Amino acid sequence: MHDSLPVTTPPIPARGLFWNPFVQIFLAVLLTAAAQILLKVGASGSSSDSSAWSLLGVSELGDGWTWLGIIAFVASFGSWLYALRFLPLGLAFSLTNGVHVFVPLGSWYFLHEHISLLRAGGILIIIVGILFLAQSVAKAEEKV
Amino acid sequence: MSPTVWFLLIVSQLALVVGQIYLKHAMSRRELGAEKARGWIGILAIGIAAMTVWFLLWLGVMSRVDLSKLMPLEGISPLLIVLGAAAFLHERLNWRGWTGVILTSIGVLLVSMS
Repeated sequence: MHDSLPVTTPPIPARGLFWNPFVQIFLAVLLTAAAQILLKVGASGSSSDSSAWSLLGVSELGDGWTWLGIIAFVASFGSWLYALRFLPLGLAFSLTNGVHVFVPLGSWYFLHEHISLLRAGGILIIIVGILFLAQSVAKAEEKV
Repeated sequence: MSPTVWFLLIVSQLALVVGQIYLKHAMSRRELGAEKARGWIGILAIGIAAMTVWFLLWLGVMSRVDLSKLMPLEGISPLLIVLGAAAFLHERLNWRGWTGVILTSIGVLLVSMS
């Protein structure tokens, strides 16, 4: 796998916000969060099955929610592949941790769920971490 | 969690790391253009196959364990990916990158513990 690997990635395109790889990662994260919830709803309906197939989660495929979840996953996959063209893998994947910011904040805003001090601290640390990650790309681009 | 669930979880994480490395490898190769990019679709297919294995195993794990118990383990996968990308793709992070990776993982751990 080591042969002819390009060390540099193409510059981030300037053609509109939608095509920014960071925006695409944000989209991928939101779609994945939606997909996880849909898959959990689908999976809960069929956990009583104990055949050999259920080890692979194949029995969940009979559920409509599972298929909605799969569609959301495929869409997020497209956004993800696009972002990978422009960003290093390790950095891009760490940015997906943003999902752990949006889900608790979303539940607080829309569902009026309480956010504990520990959780608020965790959210703050993730946001600071994401700022560092974004900075590290900006600095790497300056050097090129 | 039972040994079966741990086994499924570990294999699924391995499949995730391998899959992501192949996906990135394919997308980077595609950028080379013309002759040098040849074979990128095959590499992408391997990545998608590994991600499919991850997906099915993850479904299996989720039907057995609450999502809230799985979330702390999710904080570990970015670290695995960063290490895998360093070893196989020769990705190098600057100190800002490493600080970001470590901080986000700690944050995920705190959020999922509460």
